[in-house]
Amino acid sequence: MNRIANAFENGKAFIAFITCGDPDPETTAAAVREAVKAGADLIELGIPFSDPTAEGPVIQEANVRALSGGVTTDKIFGLVRDLRRDVTIPLVFMTYANVVFSYGTEKFLRTCAEIGIDGLILPDVPFEEREEFLPECRKYGVKLISLIAPTSEQRIDMIAKEAEGFLYIVSSLGVTGTRTKITTDLGAIVSRVRKNTSLPCAIGFGISEPAQAKEMGALADGVIVGSAIVKRVAKYGKQAPAEVGAYVKSMKDALRELSE
Amino acid sequence: MTKIKMCGIMRPEDISAANAIKPDYIGFVFAKKSRRYVSPEQAAELKAKLNPEIKAVGVFVDAPLNEVADLLKKGIIDIAQLHGNEDEMYAATLRELTGKPVIKAFRLGTAEGMRQSGAGLDYSCSTNDTEAERTIRDASHFPSDGVLLDSGAGTGTVLDWDTLAGFTRPYFLAGGLSPDNIKEAIEKLHPYAVDVSSGIETDGVKDPEKMQAFAEAVRACDREQTERTKTMSEKRGRFGIHGGQYIPETLMNAVLELEEAYNHYKNDPEFNRELQTLFNEYAGRPSRLYFAKKMTEDLGGAKIYLKREDLNHTGAHKINNVLGQALLAKKMGKTRLIAETGAGQHGVATATAAALMGMECVVFMGEEDTKRQALNVYRMRLLGAEVIPVKTGTATLKDAVSEAMREWTNRISDTHYCLGSVMGPHPFPTIVRDFQAVISKEIKEQIKEKEGRLPDAVIACVGGGSNAIGSFYHFIDDPAVQLIGCEAAGRGVDTFETAATIATGRLGIFHGMKSYFCQDKYGQIAPVYSISAGLDYPGVGPEHAYLHDIGRAQYVPVTDEEAVEAFEYLARTEGIIPAIESAHAIAYARKLAPTMEKDKVIVVTVSGRGDKDCAAIARYRGEDIHE
Repeated sequence: MNRIANAFENGKAFIAFITCGDPDPETTAAAVREAVKAGADLIELGIPFSDPTAEGPVIQEANVRALSGGVTTDKIFGLVRDLRRDVTIPLVFMTYANVVFSYGTEKFLRTCAEIGIDGLILPDVPFEEREEFLPECRKYGVKLISLIAPTSEQRIDMIAKEAEGFLYIVSSLGVTGTRTKITTDLGAIVSRVRKNTSLPCAIGFGISEPAQAKEMGALADGVIVGSAIVKRVAKYGKQAPAEVGAYVKSMKDALRELSE
Repeated sequence: MTKIKMCGIMRPEDISAANAIKPDYIGFVFAKKSRRYVSPEQAAELKAKLNPEIKAVGVFVDAPLNEVADLLKKGIIDIAQLHGNEDEMYAATLRELTGKPVIKAFRLGTAEGMRQSGAGLDYSCSTNDTEAERTIRDASHFPSDGVLLDSGAGTGTVLDWDTLAGFTRPYFLAGGLSPDNIKEAIEKLHPYAVDVSSGIETDGVKDPEKMQAFAEAVRACDREQTERTKTMSEKRGRFGIHGGQYIPETLMNAVLELEEAYNHYKNDPEFNRELQTLFNEYAGRPSRLYFAKKMTEDLGGAKIYLKREDLNHTGAHKINNVLGQALLAKKMGKTRLIAETGAGQHGVATATAAALMGMECVVFMGEEDTKRQALNVYRMRLLGAEVIPVKTGTATLKDAVSEAMREWTNRISDTHYCLGSVMGPHPFPTIVRDFQAVISKEIKEQIKEKEGRLPDAVIACVGGGSNAIGSFYHFIDDPAVQLIGCEAAGRGVDTFETAATIATGRLGIFHGMKSYFCQDKYGQIAPVYSISAGLDYPGVGPEHAYLHDIGRAQYVPVTDEEAVEAFEYLARTEGIIPAIESAHAIAYARKLAPTMEKDKVIVVTVSGRGDKDCAAIARYRGEDIHE
């Protein structure tokens, strides 16, 4: 059974992104476990790509560190197998089209199903190109997560109607990375999405502070945080898991205030 | 179109059946141990009765070289197919002696003893490869005109799709094919040609009904494929399976808006008048088609014409595309142009158009390239553009493209991304191609005026491939014109330091398109290398990938050393200093022209001028010059 819906059953969801293998798979595994303990509701596991065109400098550098550390798609599958011995919350992969295509779409998704991956986020695959991956995703029960951007406008209806798992609402123009201010009218986007689907919406890109999490969480069903976590991994290296745990707790606590 | 080869033809009635069914090739087996053996005398009689449109292939197993050469020279066979332990030297000598094509056969599964020394350092291969993977790799590199892959065990399903996925060279598929399994084989593997023998026999002799059924099954497959391709490309900017729009959702409305605007303006008489005026009055079009008399005489073969895109304003073909896109952007109400650049030619062209049209301009350039092409950085700044050195990744062209894409997602409403090659997401490959197609349109008119006929070959260098597609486009429907793209092989296609995408890459999805890319087995994009900053890109435009797939264009690798020699050669021989990119095309023309008759005609596109490269070439030759 797909676990994604479970993520949205404990109040507002906190979704943590982490680049696998940065700086090594053991640190990633420890950081994921700390995040889970601290209340993360879903983990996005990034499979590094040599040329991540949707990422800002923080996650670009994490990809470089992970790849130069020797991590590969196969090693990341091994990492997930290990995590699934005790981690029960939903796990999704976030990577680029070529990583999946080049591995063999069928083989990649068959493995995802075997090891307990619930969803797949491909930022360089828009609605028009979903057919490249959707048949295999459906065959193996892995949700292909759709993204909605501040520029999506009339496209929201079409994307939301066909969406699976949850909707990833991109908060701002540009690439991933922390921002001091988010100016997009996200309330209007979320309400347009809700007219078309009952699936949960999570907002990502640029969120780093508990106050922002609370503000964004009030508009949607969850928030996604990547660069702020990856920054801690960059700073603390192998000692990062405890720092990541403490940070996730502060963010989830802020979201909990919304449910009270 | 999948070509058909019917092998093991022995009797006059087999020839009659072949003449009626018209396969592309028939085969005579000259291996004495085979039950399908024919003697040279029998073959000569049979060949005399064969429809000349059908090529005769001679199949040999370690035959003495002079016997094979003799059959080729006498015209009893048109092509030699080598099935034994013949090595590279054997194949090369045979070609040199006869000038006729050679096909080398590789058996999968029982590869031992079939392998040759041509194994290269394929980036995607690790040490625990299977035997089949190694054979595939050898077959990729063997220096013959064609290769044949024999599945060995005779079912056609022994060939593993995964094993063959990285095999981009066109090949003959053989082994156990029959009218019953041919559809599946073609749909799965898309070979260049299919080779059948026992599958069209009954009781050990060729059966005209089975021959007909086999040919019909192949042709039905092709018709189906064409239909599918047509629907696909009409719908989503596809070239066969290549192309598409693999970009973040944030950019989707921007490319849709661009497509809509382009479809409107491309047929707008006023837009076209304005563009034509810019081409003629500002860029200096039409560019000359120059007969390179000294080079022709020196090489002693085909007549060589140079299409002088180097004479355009800003010194390269890039201005054609940029004037088109800048005008389009202006009509769309955009006030800012962003661009990537490799050698700096596209950056200079974009900065020029921005200055002319009063637009803001930001150019992304790999930091490595800002050093290699310092003069162009200065030119861009002089023209009022901001140049941003890109430090990520390999700090070359691919990183500049990635960074320009990132910047576009950041600022869309007033900004047009002026992509410089026939690559990226739809509609860029189409838009850029249409603006560059002026090159082949002019070549066609000019060569008809000078020679009264079409050229026999058109040669251009290929990075992303914009000057090449521009040079090819109006000849695509003229099958007699050979189209040749020259890829940058860097230090050689057998090394890691290469940028020859079609020779060494495989199918992938990157920078908005599905096409061929240099990548490792996990799909990580490979750090490519070429002396030429403009060809130093790990992918190729989707239309080139398609022209390669259908065999309409040929792509050949040219090394740094060959390009530098050609750079110096053209300067000395014709007094023309070509861009190092264009020197790759000149280098191949130097190889090709002497093999052709004197009444043949080659057109080589000199895509740009070489002033920008002088310091780098001097460094390559060990001389440090200061400008």
